[in-house]
Amino acid sequence: MAGEAMGKEEAHVRKLFSKYYSENKIAMPSAHMREFGFGGWDKKIEFRHIAVPGEAELMAKLALEAPLYVSYSVAYYQFPSARPMVRKGWRGADLVFDLDAPEHSCGKFTCQECLDKVKQDAIKLIEDFLLPDFGFSKSELSANFSGGRGYHVHVKSQAVEQLDRSARREIADYIAGTGLDFDRLFWEDGKKLFGPKPSDGGYGGKFAREYLRRLDDEEFAQQISRKLSKPEEKARLKSAIQQGNWDNIGIANRKRKLREKFEEMRLTLAGRIDANVTADITKLIRMPNSLHGGSGLCAKSIPSLKLDGFEPMRDAQAFRQGSLKIKAAESIPEVPGIVPEKMPAGKIAEVPQAQAAYLLCKKAAVLAD
Amino acid sequence: MEDLLFCSRYPFTRKAKECAERIGIGLSSSVIEKAEKRLREAAVEGRIRKVAEIPEAMREELAVYATCRMIISSASSRYLIGRYAVAEAKRAREYLDSDELSKPENIDAVAEDLGLAFEKAEDGFLLPFWLYLPFTPRSLDYKLSNRQLAAGKVLVKRSERRRIIEEAVRIRIESSLPIKADFPKEIQEAGKRILGILPKLEASALRLDERDYPPCIRKLLEDLAMNANVPHIGRVALAIYLVNAGLSDDKIVDFFRHAPDFSEKITRYQVEHVRAKKYRMASCSTMDSWGLCVADCRCGNPLNYKESVHGKRLKAEGKKVE
Repeated sequence: MAGEAMGKEEAHVRKLFSKYYSENKIAMPSAHMREFGFGGWDKKIEFRHIAVPGEAELMAKLALEAPLYVSYSVAYYQFPSARPMVRKGWRGADLVFDLDAPEHSCGKFTCQECLDKVKQDAIKLIEDFLLPDFGFSKSELSANFSGGRGYHVHVKSQAVEQLDRSARREIADYIAGTGLDFDRLFWEDGKKLFGPKPSDGGYGGKFAREYLRRLDDEEFAQQISRKLSKPEEKARLKSAIQQGNWDNIGIANRKRKLREKFEEMRLTLAGRIDANVTADITKLIRMPNSLHGGSGLCAKSIPSLKLDGFEPMRDAQAFRQGSLKIKAAESIPEVPGIVPEKMPAGKIAEVPQAQAAYLLCKKAAVLAD
Repeated sequence: MEDLLFCSRYPFTRKAKECAERIGIGLSSSVIEKAEKRLREAAVEGRIRKVAEIPEAMREELAVYATCRMIISSASSRYLIGRYAVAEAKRAREYLDSDELSKPENIDAVAEDLGLAFEKAEDGFLLPFWLYLPFTPRSLDYKLSNRQLAAGKVLVKRSERRRIIEEAVRIRIESSLPIKADFPKEIQEAGKRILGILPKLEASALRLDERDYPPCIRKLLEDLAMNANVPHIGRVALAIYLVNAGLSDDKIVDFFRHAPDFSEKITRYQVEHVRAKKYRMASCSTMDSWGLCVADCRCGNPLNYKESVHGKRLKAEGKKVE
């Protein structure tokens, strides 16, 4: 706001937000040990170093000030409002992962394809990495829509609370496959080629399991070796790989082929998680179930990690009552779940409150009255 | 007897501490002399010589170890503490290596004492990743991406287990020093003597009369000059600042010369890289989020800092620089 008069769009959105915060109780564990940051119409974090005595006071503050963005520190502090940072008394931090929709031409109105893709990434992060590899239990994990175009996964576990920046970066690097040296997985001894067993941990085991699974696919098998068209040869190779022996049938150019298949499988989340966010032990991150001033959507937490059936444009709407007359300030595409049909620039229409909030926050529409 | 052998080899364990308390430690001139010798070896050669393992000598070793801790605390030099911790860890590693063959149970006991919950596996040991990460070097060999990780545990080889224990020993010793206490006169004198043999820091490397260096940059320079370990991000920020402040590569490399892990080649390469890439200086809020901001001078960006403006304000507001 910075002293300037508030536009009517902002005033309307703030009114909606204030109502939301006064009517909904949002859980914020250890609120008294967190630093909060609030954002406004033009900036996601306008004020930071905010501290609150507890959850109830936080909710009262949110209802009163109706910030357009609410972030909180992944860190726990003794004095959350102290400055500079070194005086806050860092006590530990949750481990967090930030996944964003990939860069795509859809731009401002993130398309369904992009939203689905980032959702699949989040599922992969949880099911292929956090649960099996890192051994976290489901109760230690929580996932929420970011309110924009991605997902956040939070890990609350005493085991990782104290890890420093460089240890956290190692975790992010593992998930992204950064520094992964494929050649270390295999070693040759004359004609023999030894490699990982499917029972191994890490990328070796992941690769072996996926490779064995794909050998059942004829096309894949043929790309490895023509000999695999004979069922007995394939069975022989498969049982050898179980023991870590990757070539008992004489495969031409075997190391090159394996490497290509490894790349093809996309076992890592390279480029899909923001390693800087995970490494940052003082990061301010969107508060789950708070509202996002860039979309009017809720950064909804997803119960029991059931991301599969979650459709953000439908399920993260915060305003389900009433309607509002708005005027499209630009050409607006159809956005499944929230904008049922295209709106050409200049069109005036009375639309459901959630759609209105979405377009006002996107600055794609203005109030019509 | 077995106990005494273990304790003299691994004097940093809780078991050794109990043992030393049981025996009771006297401050004889012989013990102080041997402690000084141990510290000198650590500071100058970076290693500590083993002694004959006969009962009297082993009992004395425990007293010598405790005395070393007092002397080094009295001397209170971060450089010395760092060097000493490395040397003690190396000494422990030599015993671990020989115990691996003759007394593997000693390795289990040291690991357990350090809180390293290794679990025996078919082809090595399993260690929870949150214990693995803080005690492994940042190298491709130890990179988590290249390791077998399942159910929260990393597979480590037998020899790697000893490397991890060595690092845990170093960290335990370094973080437990200095002890704060009033030491007897003999100890204080020994502390002064040991400070006297430390390599003289060249005052030329640190010129703080560059008045307009902001508090965060001055802190980084001081830490480097004191041979304290400055985190990577701090070194990068410092190099970017100095490049932007118009210093030559030679001059910048000189600032880094006292870092415990200084390498002329690597430092020079990195400084040249910073210059070639034209990195921009991080803003104050970014510096703060990196934990590098030490004063609320409100200059916006360390490059904007002017002693005559921001420094005066800091003083006027009575703000203490940490």
